[in-house]
Amino acid sequence: MPSMRGGTIYVEGRSGLHKLHPLTKLALSGLCFACAAALPGLPWLLGMFVLVLMPLAIWGRITRAFLKACLLVVGPFLLSLAIIQGFFHGGDTVLFQLGRFTYTLEGLMAGLLFAARLLVALGGTLLLMQSTDQAQLMQALTERGFPARIAYVVLTAIQIFPSFQDRAQVIMDAQQARGLELQTGALNRARLLLPMVGPLILGSVMDVSERAMALEARGFSSPAQKTSLHSLADSASQRTLRWLLVAAALGLLAWRVGSALA
Amino acid sequence: MIRLKKFSYWYPATEQHALDRITLDIPEGQFLGIVGANGAGKSTLCYALSGFVPHFYNGELEGELSFDNTPMAELDLGKLAGQVGLVFQNPFNQISGARFTVREEIAFGLENLGVPRAEMRDRIEEAMELVNIQELAERSPFSVSGGQQQRIAIASILAMQPRVLVLDEPTSQLDPDGTRDVFAALSKLVSTRKITVIIAEHKLEWLATFCDRVIALANGRLRAEGSPQDVLSSEQMLRLGVGRTQYSEAAARLLRSKQLPVTLEQAKKALQ
Amino acid sequence: MNSFRKEFTTLSITLIAVGIALNLALGTVVLRLGLPLYLDSIGTVLVGALVGPWAGAATGFLSNLVWTLTGLYPQAFAWAGVAAIIGALAGAFGRSGWLNSIGKAALAGLITGVVSAVLSAPIATYVFGGVVGAGTDALVAAFRAAGLDALMSNVAQGTFSDPLDKLVTFVVVWSLLLALPAREKARFGNLPATSKERAPRGATRRPAGKTTQKTTKKTARRR
Repeated sequence: MPSMRGGTIYVEGRSGLHKLHPLTKLALSGLCFACAAALPGLPWLLGMFVLVLMPLAIWGRITRAFLKACLLVVGPFLLSLAIIQGFFHGGDTVLFQLGRFTYTLEGLMAGLLFAARLLVALGGTLLLMQSTDQAQLMQALTERGFPARIAYVVLTAIQIFPSFQDRAQVIMDAQQARGLELQTGALNRARLLLPMVGPLILGSVMDVSERAMALEARGFSSPAQKTSLHSLADSASQRTLRWLLVAAALGLLAWRVGSALA
Repeated sequence: MIRLKKFSYWYPATEQHALDRITLDIPEGQFLGIVGANGAGKSTLCYALSGFVPHFYNGELEGELSFDNTPMAELDLGKLAGQVGLVFQNPFNQISGARFTVREEIAFGLENLGVPRAEMRDRIEEAMELVNIQELAERSPFSVSGGQQQRIAIASILAMQPRVLVLDEPTSQLDPDGTRDVFAALSKLVSTRKITVIIAEHKLEWLATFCDRVIALANGRLRAEGSPQDVLSSEQMLRLGVGRTQYSEAAARLLRSKQLPVTLEQAKKALQ
Repeated sequence: MNSFRKEFTTLSITLIAVGIALNLALGTVVLRLGLPLYLDSIGTVLVGALVGPWAGAATGFLSNLVWTLTGLYPQAFAWAGVAAIIGALAGAFGRSGWLNSIGKAALAGLITGVVSAVLSAPIATYVFGGVVGAGTDALVAAFRAAGLDALMSNVAQGTFSDPLDKLVTFVVVWSLLLALPAREKARFGNLPATSKERAPRGATRRPAGKTTQKTTKKTARRR
């Protein structure tokens, strides 16, 4: 994975999609959630994916990465849903029989519908994450009153977990090299693993004091009004677009609730 | 500038003094070295000089500790942040991780202090130049070596333009290359800028070159103070577990030997 | 409100970030091991135990947010509330001393696991169509085949894996707390001291109520 940043799926780039204000993309992924929840049928959902999300991915020059991520995330759901809904949803159009269980067309379609909903919802999130620098997203949020301390926690966790991961992986590889894996079952492996990653966890907890002091030395508790190195490019048209996206999302949800009640 | 008078400190739930009746006056612009064996109280003194004792570590204190004639207890870490900077041993722990590139990481402290953007840019470039990390500006601070990380940490503090820089064994976790780079940065700092620098360090050779004054600690007590020459060459340093510089060591060996070396080989052997 | 603020000092905020990083690191590494466990909440339970219910809840909630933000497991945010409750429970168990003994820690883990299973099932059922998109869906299929409805199949599936996972997690955290120096634990202030730690080491050495000490405590709380 070439352009990973602190263990995320962000793909660096200079496309128009990348340059959109993070909140515009956040509003778009919000609309995707509303669509996933509210759109009535498979054609609508697939249309949303093919006619909105895909062109955006192409615009962002992240088509391959986007499709791959969608497949990795939604694929397992699709498989499970096709099996479980197909057999257990019920319906009259029997496609085939397996022992005493019947697989119905209605079940398959119900499974596909759910998978399509997940595809739109999670696809919107993946598109946002692949085209948006998390630091910029957090900056955009803190500029609008999101707590800076939470932004710190999120960004720092994103950046330090790969180094913890590497250390844990090194410990495990060493263990596997000694052939421990071969002679024992899964649970024994876990039991052997824990005393080994224990020092990693304890060490990181004991380092917390120094980490916190270093943070204080950097003015973390300073009463000053914070500033930022970069300014986020924004425009009047994007602001309008954001309101439209939010309005569309709310409108869709209201329509869905209304028609459910009617 | 920083004044301690019979200052004592105990960490929470401990009986042993971490600092024991220390009296010390650090004038503005001084380059002060702190030496002592492990556990002598060097780190604790560094924390006291930068306000982390008492503002980060609870515990009990006695005597006086003041910064610019204001008792440290009346200040807080938020206010001290632009005034006193502290650099620690472990480079990894000092990278805030809240920003993705070295330049942004250095900016983090300035953002917290509310420094305007244009000034921030200038200060970052200046700090990077001082510790010679300009070429790392766009790299991830997690993708560089320990010595480079430590210089990023120092630059991050220097960019905040503190009046006092406290360094607690900044090279103890670095390899010789990293150590040399960090000290090269410090020597540049000494020659270009007038700020007060306080450094706790085991590598005495470096202290001897830079410091105006050296103090020695043992069991939390101040045991010696004076010029690097006077303090580091004294016999007492061996008793306190401080040791001596490799040059003193070589010279001492030479003085002990019965005959002076006459060939290059002998001289090498005698001085090693 | 006061206890809420006390759990979000710079020190505990830093610990929360480290806890989240541990969750993600161990979660991904254990996933590769192919164990019937997740072990992706050791950080949450550890922070909850050390700092308290609010901090534990924040660690759980934000861990799932970070899973989503990294794009590694974008659906995680749907379970953020459940993760928060796991952290809060860990904080409560820690505060009441349940994590001082292995037996009680195991029981606390089992209880947390059952709570987690019951709360997770409706999310899987109504948000994700009765599946979680993982190998455990085979269990859901088996329960459906045995005649349980969608929700109950997910509850049953959860009860199969969650209590075991949380039991192991809590026992791991118990052993970590055992190994952690008392000084470190005291710094975060949620766990009651064990009888051994409570030994009055110089507790009466100097008179309490010195002005310096009071100032210190006040500032510490504001931080």
